[in-house]
Amino acid sequence: MWSEIRGLKDDVDYGTPPRDGAPVTLEIDGVTVTVPAGSSLMLAAASAGRPIPKLCATDMLEAFGSCRVCLVEIEGRGGFPASCTTLVAEGMKVKTQSETLSRLRKGVLELYLSDFPESEIADGWSEFHDTLKAEGVASHPYGAGGFNHFEAPVDASNPYFLFDPAKCIVCSRCVRACAEVQGTFAITIAGRSFDSKVVASQDQPFFESECVSCGACVQACPSHALVEKSLFEGEYVHAESAEA
Amino acid sequence: MPNPLKPEKSVVTTCAYCGVGCGFKAETRGGKIVRMTPWKEGKANHGHSCIKGRFAYDYYNAPDRVRTPLIRASIDDPWTPVSWDEAFAYAAKEFKRIQAKYGVKSVGAVSSSRCTNEEIFLTQKFARAVLGNNNIDNCARICHSPTQFGLTNTVGAGAASQHFDSILQADVIMVVGANPTEGHPVFGSLMKRRIRQGAKLIVIDPRKTETVESAHCKADVHLAIRPGTNVAILDSIAHVVVREKLYNEEFVRARCEVNEFENWKALVGSDNYAPEVIGPLAGVDPDDIRKAARIYASGPNSAIYYGLGVTEHSQGSTGVMCLGNLGLSCGMLGREGVGVNPLRGQGNVQGGSCLGSWPHVFSGYRFVTDYETRSSFEAEWGVPLDAEPGLRLPNMLDAAVAGSFKGMYIMGEDPVQSDPNQHHVIAAMRNMECVVLHDLFLNETSKYAHIFFPGSSSLEKDGTFTNAERRVSRVRKVIEPLAGLEDWQITVKLMNAMGYNVNYTSAGEVLDEIARLSPNYRGISFALVDRIGSAQWPCNEDAPEGTEVLHREKFPRANGLGTFMLTEYVPTAERTNDKYPLLLTTGRILSQYNVGTQTRRTPNSMWHSEDVLEINEQDSISRGVKDGDWVKVSSRFGEIEVRARISERVNPGVVYTTFHHAKSKANAVTSDLSDWATNCPEYKVTAVDVVRTNGPAADAARDAATPRIAEMEPAE
Repeated sequence: MWSEIRGLKDDVDYGTPPRDGAPVTLEIDGVTVTVPAGSSLMLAAASAGRPIPKLCATDMLEAFGSCRVCLVEIEGRGGFPASCTTLVAEGMKVKTQSETLSRLRKGVLELYLSDFPESEIADGWSEFHDTLKAEGVASHPYGAGGFNHFEAPVDASNPYFLFDPAKCIVCSRCVRACAEVQGTFAITIAGRSFDSKVVASQDQPFFESECVSCGACVQACPSHALVEKSLFEGEYVHAESAEA
Repeated sequence: MPNPLKPEKSVVTTCAYCGVGCGFKAETRGGKIVRMTPWKEGKANHGHSCIKGRFAYDYYNAPDRVRTPLIRASIDDPWTPVSWDEAFAYAAKEFKRIQAKYGVKSVGAVSSSRCTNEEIFLTQKFARAVLGNNNIDNCARICHSPTQFGLTNTVGAGAASQHFDSILQADVIMVVGANPTEGHPVFGSLMKRRIRQGAKLIVIDPRKTETVESAHCKADVHLAIRPGTNVAILDSIAHVVVREKLYNEEFVRARCEVNEFENWKALVGSDNYAPEVIGPLAGVDPDDIRKAARIYASGPNSAIYYGLGVTEHSQGSTGVMCLGNLGLSCGMLGREGVGVNPLRGQGNVQGGSCLGSWPHVFSGYRFVTDYETRSSFEAEWGVPLDAEPGLRLPNMLDAAVAGSFKGMYIMGEDPVQSDPNQHHVIAAMRNMECVVLHDLFLNETSKYAHIFFPGSSSLEKDGTFTNAERRVSRVRKVIEPLAGLEDWQITVKLMNAMGYNVNYTSAGEVLDEIARLSPNYRGISFALVDRIGSAQWPCNEDAPEGTEVLHREKFPRANGLGTFMLTEYVPTAERTNDKYPLLLTTGRILSQYNVGTQTRRTPNSMWHSEDVLEINEQDSISRGVKDGDWVKVSSRFGEIEVRARISERVNPGVVYTTFHHAKSKANAVTSDLSDWATNCPEYKVTAVDVVRTNGPAADAARDAATPRIAEMEPAE
């Protein structure tokens, strides 16, 4: 009941919300770990010190299963299930690293990277950048001429944060943070397939939308597409005098 | 966009805005604060935040922040910048002169709920040990003093019975006179999470607030009462509980004073409080009153959350008692998921209340008249203490107008803008010979001050805040104080200048003194809070890491039993008539915080650049007022001009505004009536009329010819 918010740790991202079910013991990469029933494999792996790479998952939000980076292998089961949406079971044996998994993850990350501004890959420090580094992905084989969102206009209407669609990986973490954490439901994904994009209210600038600027979406964004303006040199307009 | 620059350092601290008290990580780069991010381990916010704490922190560095002490002989003189030593010496000389001339009790002090526990404690120590009287009050006087009185008299503790997380076990949530999604946004989000999980919601509020209906969150019952009928409606809900025998007899027999319960039953069970009688009086459907009572009583876990809409009335304390009675009668106390909980407005209202910043009690609500308590303080402080309770803030102001009260140390408050009946407050200020104001900015009150101590923002000092759930959290210094001294150091140096010799090497030592002198804080120290993140009082030998839920086994009263207070409805003297046919009530908006000292100095004002008057279409048509028109709102006490917004949030006969902007002077119209028990002003009910005007510009000429009150624009 409470663990979903009370079990959070500042320096760990379990990937999915902590649960408080009965203890379940399983094996992750040979490490035995006991977690409450209802936990995801991703949470169990993080608890076992074997964190699984992820993009659309974070422990303040329910699992979504969209990014396909967190794939794992489970002994006795076929395929490569997403560890965020697969729940733990007693005696399960899970493998988080293998050549196949690495290849699959790399393929997925390269696809993400093919629509990410090239000049901003190297010195970034977002979760997305960290994941790329951890998986050893620094470039993609798809060339520069493909469809992309590089020219999509930046929404800087909100005085505190901006939205740069070029860096958006459409993981829906902002949409879910606005709904699940804040409860305002101001953000959604509009469009289908490659045209799908994050929009506020009826595709309005953030400042004019129902957004209440709580910052939950900025906090949730893994790729600095939603980011505080105050982190940019000279971008931030300083405090104005009262009643100016 | 290029990649953002990575912050270099991060300090965990506590937000200084509302009573939720969110944990934040203040991140710096090159010694400048570049970001505040919510702390996932913050037990009040669990990684969530709102626009104020998350983004509106930059006021600390506003250009008009005062960075050096100021003095002047007369309020008509310009300010002279001086050194700290000169400022302390001047203040000490003036206070001593005034006390020699007009008596020991001619001066006093006021502390603020924006200050840390340590500062609040030192300010009352300054009044008691240094000034030698009990003329000490704090701004909880004008917001939650009825909470302390009303809850102490029913359940024994003037504080929230629960921790915030408790709401995730509530089946029924009753919000009375509060608007959490605007006023306490992070708690509002937690509440909405629970409502989305299926909890029922009852809202009692004259206005159809954002809490009443928003995406995936809709009140099952909204009692849109006429302002001022809280006690009537709560008694009527109690009437249904009694008549339909919905009360929890087993709980009452085990945990409460049964005789008082019977007396209460007789009162609220009388025909006077039948929904069919009270409904028309309060402007709501009697069936809705019955529905609300049945939902609340059937629980199984029903939790009450209330705000200033309950307290800021002439029957504010009675309203709080009604809630205490209701919780006791239905057995909704003493476990998780239930409770009676005040939502505190400012970050440290609970701390302000706990720590003896009152004219009649020491920390822990122990009376100054009590020999034993007083002796313990005398022993610690090394001076004899006055046994006579001092003046409350409104009484200090009255005495100043009368001429017997001449000097005041005001820490972090702006009474001219925030206290009711502004004209009276100004007259009082003008009549004093030494007003020492300790704040970040010059404000309305500084116009009448003689000495200005430039304070430190919460980002520039160490200390603790106690939030609305009794949680004591650390405030940590992120950057050096802009004016050179932390607030607690300023008060200590003022004490020293007055000849009282005391020294602390850190704010933690002040907290240690609080712990020695206050039973509920006995186990609290910087070390404990640093180790476990935060702790809810009572924190002592029995509860070394604090207490989440109060009243589990017994109530903190002499016999351990909860009791019922008689809550007869007495209508306020503030009535509508032909001249003032509408009722004005006031509230807050998400992006601004109280009188706006902080938020008006941030881009938050882009959302709310002025206070507007919400008026129902029916009332607007009959007055020829269109949306966006300037209107004059006049009451028996004054008048203001604001723009009108036609809104279905208010019923016909009710108008609503916020009080965030100095230029709109909302408190120039509010009445000087106050709570019968605690003097908490009746901000929430004022009879007014509204007429369309050509706006302040057109009136400027007339105003210049006949100035009504001093110009209100802040000094540069």
